[in-house]
Amino acid sequence: MTDYNERPDSEELSDDERAILSELGESRRKFLGTVSATTFGVLAAQLLAEQEILANYRVPEDAVFAPVAEENAVSVTLNINGTKRALSLDSRVTLLDALREKLGLTGSKKGCDHGQCGSCTVIVDGRRVLSCLTLAATCEGKTVTTIEGLAKGDDLHPMQEAFIKYDGFQCGYCTPGQICSAVAMLDEAKRGQLSYLSENIRGKARAVKLSDDEIRERMSGNLCRCGAYPNIVKAIREVHTGTEVAETWEFVKEGVNDAAV
Amino acid sequence: MKNLDSKSHVRGESVYLDDIPVVEGTLYACVFDSPVAHGKLRSVNTDEAASAPGVVRVITANDLIGENQIGGILPDEPLLANGEVHFCGMPIAVVLAESDEQARAAASLVKAEIEPLEAIVDAREAFAKGSLIAAPKRFKLGDTEKAFESCAHVFEGKTRSGGQEHLYIETQGAYTLPSETGGLRVFSSTQGPTAVQKAVASVTGIPMNLIEVDVTRLGGGFGGKEDQANAWAAICAVSTQLTKRPVKYSLHRMEDMRMTGKRHPYSSDYRIGLDADLRIVAYDVVFYQNAGASCDLSLPVLERTLFHCTNSYFIPNVSAVAYSCKTNLPPNTAFRGFGGPQGMFVIESAIAHAADALGVDRDEIQRRNLLSSGDELPYGQIVESEAREAWSQADSVYDFATLKKEADEFNKTGGHLKKGVAMMPICFGISFTKTPMNQARSLVHVYTDGSVAVSTGAVEMGQGVNTKIAQVAASVFGISIEKVKVHTTNTLRIANTSPTAASAAADLNGKATQIACEKILERLNEVAAELELESWPPVGTGSGGDRQIGPPEGETPNWVELVNEAHLRRVNLSEHAHYATPGVGFDWSVAKGHPFAYHVFGTAIVGATVDCLRGTYEFDYVKCCHDFGQSMNSAVDRGQIEGGIVQGIGWMTIEEVVYDSEGRLRSNALSTYKIPDVYSVPDEIAIEALETTRPNLAVFNSKAVGEPPLMYGIGAYFAIREAVKAFDKENLPAFDAPFTAEKVLMNLHRS
Repeated sequence: MTDYNERPDSEELSDDERAILSELGESRRKFLGTVSATTFGVLAAQLLAEQEILANYRVPEDAVFAPVAEENAVSVTLNINGTKRALSLDSRVTLLDALREKLGLTGSKKGCDHGQCGSCTVIVDGRRVLSCLTLAATCEGKTVTTIEGLAKGDDLHPMQEAFIKYDGFQCGYCTPGQICSAVAMLDEAKRGQLSYLSENIRGKARAVKLSDDEIRERMSGNLCRCGAYPNIVKAIREVHTGTEVAETWEFVKEGVNDAAV
Repeated sequence: MKNLDSKSHVRGESVYLDDIPVVEGTLYACVFDSPVAHGKLRSVNTDEAASAPGVVRVITANDLIGENQIGGILPDEPLLANGEVHFCGMPIAVVLAESDEQARAAASLVKAEIEPLEAIVDAREAFAKGSLIAAPKRFKLGDTEKAFESCAHVFEGKTRSGGQEHLYIETQGAYTLPSETGGLRVFSSTQGPTAVQKAVASVTGIPMNLIEVDVTRLGGGFGGKEDQANAWAAICAVSTQLTKRPVKYSLHRMEDMRMTGKRHPYSSDYRIGLDADLRIVAYDVVFYQNAGASCDLSLPVLERTLFHCTNSYFIPNVSAVAYSCKTNLPPNTAFRGFGGPQGMFVIESAIAHAADALGVDRDEIQRRNLLSSGDELPYGQIVESEAREAWSQADSVYDFATLKKEADEFNKTGGHLKKGVAMMPICFGISFTKTPMNQARSLVHVYTDGSVAVSTGAVEMGQGVNTKIAQVAASVFGISIEKVKVHTTNTLRIANTSPTAASAAADLNGKATQIACEKILERLNEVAAELELESWPPVGTGSGGDRQIGPPEGETPNWVELVNEAHLRRVNLSEHAHYATPGVGFDWSVAKGHPFAYHVFGTAIVGATVDCLRGTYEFDYVKCCHDFGQSMNSAVDRGQIEGGIVQGIGWMTIEEVVYDSEGRLRSNALSTYKIPDVYSVPDEIAIEALETTRPNLAVFNSKAVGEPPLMYGIGAYFAIREAVKAFDKENLPAFDAPFTAEKVLMNLHRS
């Protein structure tokens, strides 16, 4: 019986064999890391049995593995939520996939992958973008803020607070996109950016005070199938104006305060 | 009480199916689906796909170890096409690859040789050709033939209502992992974990006790993930079984729209007879439901159409027949309202027809025929009605006459804008109409630190069911809600669940939780008695709902001491309780019974403004008086009303599902299928709670609220119609929903 504990002399291996062993060792290491993190111990046991034969090819502690070969690989450095992240990516990877699949930032959602629903909205250099229509490689050196980067520790961003206060969601799936969109939209208004509804389109850009119709116009790219729109508008209005929004559709007889039923 | 998921939702930390961290070695699935609506599947060539980069395996029907069958009600739905294809989008092969991109790229390389057969896309055409899912269903009350003879006025006509794409923003998906001794762990975006478990068991041949289905939450369901989640979980399960590797499939939006069924389109014939006092004496209706290529949930949907065919009205003589017509479309399925809205649209159209012909206001006929307590419904149940109360309370708060007068005055001033006003009463039965499904279980553990874990069969999908269940536990135990955690829906913890559907999940699972908590509390109080302590909870707590849950500050040291004392005395701090709705039943052999625990009532008034040059419209208001019973969570319930109204308006106005004559979906993306956006919401939504004290079978008397408000949206159709009539009195638009802007324009200016 072969003693697998004995490390074979590397000279006995062909180049191909070395490559295979290196790859297997790498995938096993990655696999174990994932398994221990996700407690799929049973699965680990099954797959480990299959891999046992290779288990004792010890990997040097300081080994550096190339990531699984990327086609059309490009190096991109992004400043994401205040942290610089260097990535090697297929040049065709969208910002959304880079965030979700490479960086573990799954708050941004893939609702349609066609720029039609707004669930993937993130903020790049202060402007809202649809991350499903943005190639990650075009964001080199840019600052990206996702839903995960809005709160400062336990302190929620005012827009997050307002969405909770006015129940601006039901299932929550469109919510990260709605909130990122709303945050950047209010900055657009501050910068005096115009919309289809803007009345004064001449002169120097100055901060715009938004009516509800303006809020709707500027938020019309973010869909919510649960239909929480009135509450979304209210939440944004409160953050925009700094004043509390009276409920317009309270139980009629109970007035403005959310009285007990 | 806020939805308990609020904080994680706004931080982007809520986990949905596609957010579950994948295990190294996971394969990605992609389906190759039929490009033809009906045909003989001569051959499937997977060679090229199988040799594409990253592809590990391609699976076709022949590879299945279990049965090629996922039909829940009738065994008429193969998982993968074998011999024939029945609709465009029917899965034929599954490609498994190391990455999502590789799987998708390779799926396009599968080749199928299909000999086209004639495709049927229309329900009436299917009926004419004898293509039915099952025998027709009938309801009969009184004697319509005789009654029509005595009627002063009789009118007949046709209606159509369109399909509706669910468009949950989270698409369908599943992720399966192999587990010990040949079992499977299945994460699924489903409203029906047990339905998924059964479908997986069927296609893999693995017994249910080795299949764990786990659901954290859905990014929207609306009925679309009741049975239609099964296929994707079954595909992943089969793939894991054959490759021994984890498999994930999260559908692309266009795959989802193309391959899954929608709300059933209906085509119907009606005949309505009234006496001289505008009382509806007789109603004859025939429904042709477009079921798609297999049964799915079409039969229970069809039944609920019959149950709601007279909406909120008492009609002494009713004859209703419903045909489920088999066509070559994706199997149509549950959608909020479950056939009820389709039935109500027809009676509302018949009433509008009569009102037009008699020159009276539509609401005059509606009001005179509302149900009273003690009236018999066409299916034999004697109703406890709040219909008249809801109508008159709405009228007294909103003043129908003034709203109508304002619209009339506006319309007299001329101009291209016209206003229309329509009343919409609703009556919706709560319970699964299939009686055995009205049961649920709850598993409650109290831990020695005083925290409580609850598991039920209910699936959280934004409707706040977990929040309500946590409220029940906190309320019974008299502790703060922060101490309660409602865990994922998991078939190992709760078995044989009914799907989260029929608006009934909070009632069934809430009641089961209440029973479990009460049993534990009883045991705790035996301990308290032995210790000569006052009974728990202290006076003034535990009265339920928004009103008061637990001691105000949340800290409950006595609770923890009591729990610990009980544990030391070896008292069981866990309970698995069962609840079955009492008193419900239905006998299809005579089509009579008492299928519903109770009914939800309400009346809405909808105001629309139509631009008569462009055909576009806006909704000025929807004001309703709604029967909540006694709402246990006003924030959640108001959200359900708001969302239901918006979705109902969408179905009646802008959402148009279009298949071409060859059965291909033309409204196949968000660019071609329009759902309500932030502009589509009425300028004002006013909600008045109907004041009722009548005890009911709802949890804490808080009536089910998921589906009923959708039907207020039907009023939107008739409000637009009134505005079109105001533009041209002679113009009586056909009853053909949705009333898209295009259709409105054609109606305004037909030469």
